[in-house]
Amino acid sequence: MKMFLKLAWRNIMRNKRRTIIAGTTIGIGLAALIFMDALMIGFKNDMMRAITGQFLGEGQIHAAGFRENMEPALTIRGLDGVVSGLRSDAAVDRFSLRVLSQGMLTSSSGVNAVLVVGVQPETEAFLSQVDDVIVRGEYFKGSSDREIVIGSKLADLLEADIGDRLVLTVAMAAGGELNQEMFRVSGIYSFNLREMDGGMAFIRLAKAQSLLGISGQAHQIALTFKDKMTGQTETDPFWGRYSRNGNEALGWVKLQPQMKSVLQLVQFAILFLGLILFILVSLGIINTLFMSIYERIFEFGVMRAVGTRPFGVWRLIVFEAGSLALLSIGIGLVLGFVLTFITAQSGFNYRGVEFAKTTLNVIYPVLELRQFLVYPLFVMIFTILAGIYPAFHGARLVPAKALRRTM
Amino acid sequence: MNNNKRALIVAENVEKVYSENGVPVPAVRGVDLTIESGEFTALVGPSGSGKTTLLNVLSGLDRPTSGDVHLDGRSIATMSPGELSDFRRDHIGFIFQAYNLIPVLTAEENIEYIMYLQKVPHAERHRRVLEILDLVGMKGLEKRMPPKLSGGQQQRVAIARAMVSRPLLILADEPTANLDSKTGSDLLDIMCDLNHGLGMTFVFSTHDKMIMEKAHRVVTLKDGKVAGDEVREG
Repeated sequence: MKMFLKLAWRNIMRNKRRTIIAGTTIGIGLAALIFMDALMIGFKNDMMRAITGQFLGEGQIHAAGFRENMEPALTIRGLDGVVSGLRSDAAVDRFSLRVLSQGMLTSSSGVNAVLVVGVQPETEAFLSQVDDVIVRGEYFKGSSDREIVIGSKLADLLEADIGDRLVLTVAMAAGGELNQEMFRVSGIYSFNLREMDGGMAFIRLAKAQSLLGISGQAHQIALTFKDKMTGQTETDPFWGRYSRNGNEALGWVKLQPQMKSVLQLVQFAILFLGLILFILVSLGIINTLFMSIYERIFEFGVMRAVGTRPFGVWRLIVFEAGSLALLSIGIGLVLGFVLTFITAQSGFNYRGVEFAKTTLNVIYPVLELRQFLVYPLFVMIFTILAGIYPAFHGARLVPAKALRRTM
Repeated sequence: MNNNKRALIVAENVEKVYSENGVPVPAVRGVDLTIESGEFTALVGPSGSGKTTLLNVLSGLDRPTSGDVHLDGRSIATMSPGELSDFRRDHIGFIFQAYNLIPVLTAEENIEYIMYLQKVPHAERHRRVLEILDLVGMKGLEKRMPPKLSGGQQQRVAIARAMVSRPLLILADEPTANLDSKTGSDLLDIMCDLNHGLGMTFVFSTHDKMIMEKAHRVVTLKDGKVAGDEVREG
């Protein structure tokens, strides 16, 4: 085997220019795959941060059925016990209670339907980014329980600004009677997302509880985890622990199923691109190997004449394909690493771009060891597979016919 | 010469027809020929007389269209391509007109190649390579690549490669055609010495008068048929 490996390597280096061109072509394909994979990981990470960080959280707990109809009376069962459990749960990083209700917000200039969100500002700051995107005023810095923070689009619709009075009307939990309170705008935020900027209004949790008549209750607990995979792992035991006694606990993947589809689509796109690249690369390899075989057909005749079995010729050509693969992998890994490393420093600026109900940020490609093991393995396998057809052709040469061919 | 002769190659009514653009071209027609051990035989004839084709069929590099060839008592019709390869590896040495060394292997590695196929241990391979290179006058040049060798040097290495596995038979197709007369003569002397000293069998396809003069048997081919078969004394 050692002789054939030596022969294979020396054969592919006979025409250095052709080999380097072929190797670079394959290497560029590998580098492109590594880069695309790294970019998609960065994109996924950014999407995840956007989805979970803006407001959703990495998971939520509700009363079963609340998400479907947002019935004010459907508060979390056994809230104290749930909160106590979450405080001591090793999986949980942060959590915050919320009260949610449909309502109407009225100003002197207009009226608009809103989703009213009652929050605990101190803990909510770790679960959502509303406090980070305040463009005017403040995020619940004062002591008044009549502070209201609204989105920039809503502010425009209601022609409201900091300090302006707004009247919030909601239906109470028991009986459905309407209740109204006046609030003053203390902060205006902007996510650059129509839904969030135009459809939500934040007040303090205690005020929301009082408005709806659900003192000490909450509709939603938003969570983040120490292990970021928990929110994506539907079979994680955490969800079973809190999906009981009339409550349901769901990760962000289940809360935003369309996002999973988007990410799957992105993954499929990478696979498809990889497949196209590999087909093109395989055709290039087959062409290179056939050219090499035809140039050396007399030599193969001599090898067969002196006693090389057909399998020996087959093996030699497959080894040549493998040697080409090794060279290509070396080139591709270097190119892939350099390209990805450089772009990972600066990232791709998609700040403010709205995509699938989230706002993107700067996307940083992410290098992983897997990219430098799995993709090169695929290149090796595909290159050797591509070499099999030329190898069969070489092995089936009739020695006398091969010896008659001269260049 | 070895007097314990045995038939190494027996060709029975061998025919070989090629197809060129759909037209059948008979290259060898009804040849009956026996090559015995220890022979130093020249196949002669004009270009296109079928010398190379006959050599290819006799060695199993090609199969006859009809008729049969027996190699050391075994019909090639019963042998698979792999078995024919093994037979050539172990029993037949080849010397080609254009030397045909593998250009990416050194002189030593080219000679070693066949022993590698025979699974001869490395130390033994190395020993025999150095011995044979000395015999053909190439001592000290074992690490040279073929492009760095002259035509005569390459042909010496080719002869060494053909002999190193101690085959029953060496087939040489115009081995001196690309050499000057002095080099050709020197190489011919080496082959004669091997024939006389070790009883190695040689069959040449040739136009070279020097070989014809040294040959013990001259088989003349014309239009694919044996037109003459002259055995000489000495």
